[in-house]
Amino acid sequence: MRILLAEDDPDLSRQLKQALADADYAVDHAPDGEEAHFLGDTEPYDAVILDLGLPKIDGVSVLERWRRDGKTTPVLILTARSAWSEKVAGFDAGADDYLTKPFHTEELLARLRALLRRSAGHAAATLTCGGIRLDPRAARASVNGEPLRLTSLEYRLLHYLMMHQGRVIGRTELVEHLYDQDFDRDSNTIEVFVGRLRKKIGSDRIETVRGLGYRLIALEGEAAGS
Amino acid sequence: MKPGDLFRPSLARRLVLLAAIWSLAVLVVTGLAQTALFRQEAISRFDDDLFDVADGLYAGSTVDDQGQVDAPPLTDSRATRAYSGKYWQISEPGADGKLHALVRSRSLWDGELKGPDKGIALLRGAAGKPVYYDSVGPAHEPLRAAAMLARLPGRAAPVVFMAAEDRSALEKDAQRFALETAGVLILLGAGLLLVVLIQVRVGLQPLFDLQREVAFVRQGKAERVGGTYPSELQPLAEELNALVAHDQEVVERQRTHVGNLAHALKTPISVMMAEADQDKGSLAQLVTRQTQLMREQVDHHLRRARAAARTQGNRERTPLEPVMDELAVTLERIFEDRGVEIDWRAPEDLVFPGERQDLLEIVGNVLENACKYGGGRVRAIAEAIGPDRMSITVEDNGPGLSQADRAAVLKRGERLDETAPGSGLGLSIVDELARVYGGSISLDQAVLGGLKVVVNLPRAEA
Repeated sequence: MRILLAEDDPDLSRQLKQALADADYAVDHAPDGEEAHFLGDTEPYDAVILDLGLPKIDGVSVLERWRRDGKTTPVLILTARSAWSEKVAGFDAGADDYLTKPFHTEELLARLRALLRRSAGHAAATLTCGGIRLDPRAARASVNGEPLRLTSLEYRLLHYLMMHQGRVIGRTELVEHLYDQDFDRDSNTIEVFVGRLRKKIGSDRIETVRGLGYRLIALEGEAAGS
Repeated sequence: MKPGDLFRPSLARRLVLLAAIWSLAVLVVTGLAQTALFRQEAISRFDDDLFDVADGLYAGSTVDDQGQVDAPPLTDSRATRAYSGKYWQISEPGADGKLHALVRSRSLWDGELKGPDKGIALLRGAAGKPVYYDSVGPAHEPLRAAAMLARLPGRAAPVVFMAAEDRSALEKDAQRFALETAGVLILLGAGLLLVVLIQVRVGLQPLFDLQREVAFVRQGKAERVGGTYPSELQPLAEELNALVAHDQEVVERQRTHVGNLAHALKTPISVMMAEADQDKGSLAQLVTRQTQLMREQVDHHLRRARAAARTQGNRERTPLEPVMDELAVTLERIFEDRGVEIDWRAPEDLVFPGERQDLLEIVGNVLENACKYGGGRVRAIAEAIGPDRMSITVEDNGPGLSQADRAAVLKRGERLDETAPGSGLGLSIVDELARVYGGSISLDQAVLGGLKVVVNLPRAEA
């Protein structure tokens, strides 16, 4: 496993390099944003540990550039900033996990392991429907290459619709697949989730079939689903 | 108004008092002058009539062979009725310096008119001209009298012709006039006072406006002192705005400093923690313990810096729904390994009247708490409560808290800087922030089994 460590503090870098090497990772180190971006752009890393407070180019900008260029390498953000607005901004930029300083080395290693485990099945069978791609093992979805930010309930709804794309699915069926037994199921729950999902993937991708339910369709001009 | 305010110097009172004193002085002087003028005018007309009578006596009087003075027959019937109030008399100055009646009207009966106080000398000094004076009549009525010293042909000694009339009617007139004048002037004074009161109220209104605007700034309803003011107050308003801006700048700078300091400490603490983790010696244990304390302190003061001074000039509006969505997605990512599932509902028309990062901090901490200590299932429901409030209810299926623990977590009424850092579930910061915005937070038992946190917040119009 090859890891890129982008961190400007020399002591912390040395410690983390040592800890990562001890855990049998191959580590490249970038002390600033420019080098981090270059390395991440050219080398095939399994994961990136990215400090947000990097000199030259800040971490969020580096991450945004990678994501814009279609890089899907999992990124763990390391930052001193712990406000929610900063965390949300980090995930918005395309981070996969977020660790605030100060932290214990074990915590970092545990999170890195989880990150690698999640992304391990990346090449597995993905579902597509027109421009929508859904990767069941990583539990990630995208529309025309843009990663979707879905909550797990929204993801489950999309997953179910994609597994049965083209078919009309009734509300009761959807509710049963979204919720466990012990959750209450009020009638407009599904409408709420369909509404939110439409906002995120485009409203005309989910058709309402009056009195029957919903149907996921591929848009004209997009390749039909597999 | 507090009791002490009565004795506090007051601009309004000062203005009203000055105006009242001045008005009172002017009115009193006016009243006195008016009354005096009226009386003078009336008396001068009265005197003219008396002179006519005295002059008539002088013109018509004759001296007979014995040197006796004969008065002319006067037609006024009132001069013949006893004590009628109209009298005349022809006197001669005696050797004793007093006047002695030679002839007198019948109305005098056996009384006699008195001469002027200064006596005969005065009459002699003004021979041929009338001297007017106040006197008392035979029936003790107040009299106005005219006396004229003149010589009659055929008589060596001068004679004094006197006419007098009861002046009580005149006095009554003058008194009535004075009363009427006083009444009118009192009315005028009351009117003036009212006008002054209104004038002061209206004149000072910009001051009250300014006070209200400053209060708005303090309460965070306005960013700066608004409105236009008279030229005397405008500079004050501008100075206040400059002060507010300066204050904001200082606070902002302090917050940034605290933030920078806290953030700058985090990397060195990380390094020390990592280094100590490698070692099992007693020094390493000490460092581990102390860095843990440092970490808690830094977090605590960072949060405080964030929560502080948010009230000033907040005009931002943040829709709740996108914030809930972002937080739900982000938190599910963070807790992905635990498979935490956040089921949330928020009507799209709920808008928080404040900064986005504050709303993120409030809802984020509550949700994170539920993700961290709950059993993997979190439900967050936002609802409108009337037109200007909303609530966000976050429930989890974790072990929850006992009633005593719930009370301890919030420590209501205690400020965050007095509570120990590192304590609580991150809910005290939520409480603090919510209260900055006039909101509140309450804890209860959730239907799902765990903790139920209800955050009550103000709501802006969509």
